[in-house]
Amino acid sequence: MTTMSPTPTRPYDLGFTRWVYQNIDGGDRMALCMQCGVCSGSCPLSTTMDNGPRKTFMMIRAGMKDAVLKSDTLWNCVSCYNCVVRCPRHVPVAYILHELATLAVREGYAPARTSETNKFVKGFTWSFETFGRTDERIISLFYYFQDGFVAGIKKLLAFKSIAFAFVKVGRLPLGLPHRIKNRGELKKMLAAAAAIEARHTAGRK
Amino acid sequence: MSPKNTGVYLCSGCGIGDAVSMGSLEKIATKEFKKSCKTNACLCGEEGLETIRADLAGGVNQVVIAACSPRAMTDRFRFNGTQVIRTNLREQVVWSHPANDEDTQMMAEDNIRIAITEAAKSTPPEPKVEGEYSQVVLVVGGGHSGLTAAREASKAGYEVLLVERASQLGGMAAKWSKRMPVRPPYQDPQPNTVATLVKAVEADSRITVKTGCTVAKTSGMPGRFTVEFSDGSSQTVGAFVVATGWRPYDARKLGHLGYGVSPDVVTNVEMEEMLAKGPVVRRSDGKAPGVVVFVQCAGSRDPNHLPYCSSVCCGVSIKQALQLREADPQVMVYIVYEELRTPGVAEEFYRTAQRSGVIFIKGTVKTVDAALTVTVDDAMLQQEIPLSGVDMVVLATGMVPNSTNVEAEAPEVEEEKLRPLKSDINPYAPFAVAGTGAPPLTPPEEKLPEGAPLLNLQYRQGPHLPMLAHGFPDSHYICFPYETRRSGIYVAGPVRRPMDMGEAAEDATGATMKAIQAIHNAAYGLALHPRAGDLSLPIIGLNQCTKCRRCTVECPFGAIDETDQGFPQVNSTRCRRCGTCMGACPVRTISFTNYTVDMLGSMIKAVNIPDETEEKPRILVLACENDAYPALDMMGIARHQFSAHIRIIPVRCLGSVSMLLISDALSVGYDGVMLMGCKPGDDYQCHFIKGSGIAKERMSKVGDTLKSMALEAERVTVAEVSIADSGRLPKVIQDFVEMLDTFGPNPFKGF
Repeated sequence: MTTMSPTPTRPYDLGFTRWVYQNIDGGDRMALCMQCGVCSGSCPLSTTMDNGPRKTFMMIRAGMKDAVLKSDTLWNCVSCYNCVVRCPRHVPVAYILHELATLAVREGYAPARTSETNKFVKGFTWSFETFGRTDERIISLFYYFQDGFVAGIKKLLAFKSIAFAFVKVGRLPLGLPHRIKNRGELKKMLAAAAAIEARHTAGRK
Repeated sequence: MSPKNTGVYLCSGCGIGDAVSMGSLEKIATKEFKKSCKTNACLCGEEGLETIRADLAGGVNQVVIAACSPRAMTDRFRFNGTQVIRTNLREQVVWSHPANDEDTQMMAEDNIRIAITEAAKSTPPEPKVEGEYSQVVLVVGGGHSGLTAAREASKAGYEVLLVERASQLGGMAAKWSKRMPVRPPYQDPQPNTVATLVKAVEADSRITVKTGCTVAKTSGMPGRFTVEFSDGSSQTVGAFVVATGWRPYDARKLGHLGYGVSPDVVTNVEMEEMLAKGPVVRRSDGKAPGVVVFVQCAGSRDPNHLPYCSSVCCGVSIKQALQLREADPQVMVYIVYEELRTPGVAEEFYRTAQRSGVIFIKGTVKTVDAALTVTVDDAMLQQEIPLSGVDMVVLATGMVPNSTNVEAEAPEVEEEKLRPLKSDINPYAPFAVAGTGAPPLTPPEEKLPEGAPLLNLQYRQGPHLPMLAHGFPDSHYICFPYETRRSGIYVAGPVRRPMDMGEAAEDATGATMKAIQAIHNAAYGLALHPRAGDLSLPIIGLNQCTKCRRCTVECPFGAIDETDQGFPQVNSTRCRRCGTCMGACPVRTISFTNYTVDMLGSMIKAVNIPDETEEKPRILVLACENDAYPALDMMGIARHQFSAHIRIIPVRCLGSVSMLLISDALSVGYDGVMLMGCKPGDDYQCHFIKGSGIAKERMSKVGDTLKSMALEAERVTVAEVSIADSGRLPKVIQDFVEMLDTFGPNPFKGF
């Protein structure tokens, strides 16, 4: 259903750059980036990122497709939207990073599959698709046990004291997870969203 | 002229009467100087002015006003040609010192003494107007700036003579395919309008055009320049607008960027010609380029080539990139820049280029080879990237001012005249202060500019227009735009500093207005900026003159020539009345009717110097009237307090301060002397270009005089004061006062 993005053959080949500008949501505004660095400067997690948003955008300009899609910058964004609010040229930075992360998954770039954020997001999605709500316990358990049973137990023990502290102050409810009423309606909504996305991706050149 | 009848008028308003005893001040005038004296509570009010007017009708022919700063109420205290001497009781006395204090009272009294002494030594100048004055504006250069200047002068009603070196009008701008946007929304390239301007100039009956012609020789002065042209004709003109424009930097020196190595490496000027001709094709194979790289700062901001930024190249590359993308949307355009500089409102233009898909790369181009591989040191990715598969490279080269005529041979200069000539041309040369021995700095290599002088001035100071940094014949670009350090000659357009067509048009208009002022003022004997309207002129006592030539060497505007006998000769309308010649003259035979060494000396001596046992030191401040004096006023306005032992005397320029005044002051018992003036050097702020520099130079030699008087050399100092320094000044003064305290009183007191 999707057309793959072109792979550049030499530095500063505009093939990939133009594909990103035309096919990524907000990519058209990316052309206006003037490399001021306000996005990276505003990002609470830029110290944990290998490149940060400013450099990522420059790398896209330079046609460095592999490096961009393999970078952890796409996965360390926590969607605080500071960059979006502050960009003087109104580039929707965070949205673009999410889109690039999706692209990385679709085109099979390794960090997407092994990324901690990706695993966490899977738990998050599973929780709200199943219960119609996010439940911290379910998300955590889902996330902990993805790498196998032993690893899961180890992680569980590592967070033991934090978990008890949360229980003490009433931040971690005991008992069964809540389900929403009319889960059928939710399923319909999710299906409609998936259909929109499929239409959207199919429309890409 | 009838004998002087001086009336003294005191104002007790604005808090003056509350802080000092007006009765004692009146006594100074009436008892000490035997002058009539009146006090009014609001001298600038109608009643106060009426008192003065009544006295003027009754025979008073010189007015001394002791009230606010001489910089305030100038329009009120103007009495139809009667000489008015002002002294400052408000800003510099009562507003900056404690009220009803003994020291404040003494300061006010001394200011009255200084003013009445000045009045006694000063006579009003007569305007010097002789012969015919020309009203013609000569515009040199028929490019966009020159054409605009000609049209503006014509619109203002002045006859214009436009001289162009090439065979037709239009200059560099005529070659452009399009121009950068000059109107809102400032987004897209605009059509080039130079052809319309050429037509307008050709159709203008007040403009005479000479093409294929240059200026061969210029002599005379504003209002009366005699100009000989290369075609043998000559004409008298009133003032010059020099708009000789620019030439591109020689790209043959940019071999490392591939120029001359590959035919597909072109300069931005060549690209402009290609765009004007039609579809852009490669020189090597005639094919349309698919990938074009613009290299910004090609040879600019590089100490080995042009050390400055030409300010327009970024905009030009954006324009050319847009034109290329418009002609063929498939063409890939990269602009490699160090800093993208889009002065004015070109930021929108930059965004247009970004939107259209031009890729901007921040970095430095290291090399371009024969295969057109552009090696970019990418500043954002922090790695060196070879950009290959390029079809065409455009070098954005900078602008070199046409401050000389490089197409003509440089003339021979006599050995004897070479040194002063070089030092006046070279901005880094130390100030030539005649008779002071070896220069204090080792100047960098002094050399004359290449090519023939533009106007070939028949001045004692040499044929060239003096140049500031990088060969631009500019004066201080913020304080004195269009000035050239030669009166009546104004520069406009890219010869003054790099600029685009829009700025050049504004520049030409400004310079034309200055030229018109010069023409107008010359005919009435009035001085130009900064002493605009001054009628006084230096008078040289030739019977005492020793032909030492110090005045001709030091004159910042080249106003003084030498006669065949070697005597100085003042060209009246070239003179700016700064008095640097007066300060230079070792025999003190140069003076103005209302400003002389004797007058300043008498004013200095008029101050009452208390005995050393009274522990009231006296410190003389000679303050430049352009910057330091207003800064001292502003101290008062802000109510900053400073020592009441200071006596302030304004001077036209520190350059007019003779060494004699310093030794005079110290020998009558002043404990110290402080000269306050503007910043000297090649980024000077001195209104008379080198006055403060010359003063500094002279004062560095004052040590010997002080030594012979057995005084500490530190008793004389020069302080750099700008007009914005009022907050800093109290400390400067206090530090000097405290330092003088450690020396103890001047032993010459009481002699």
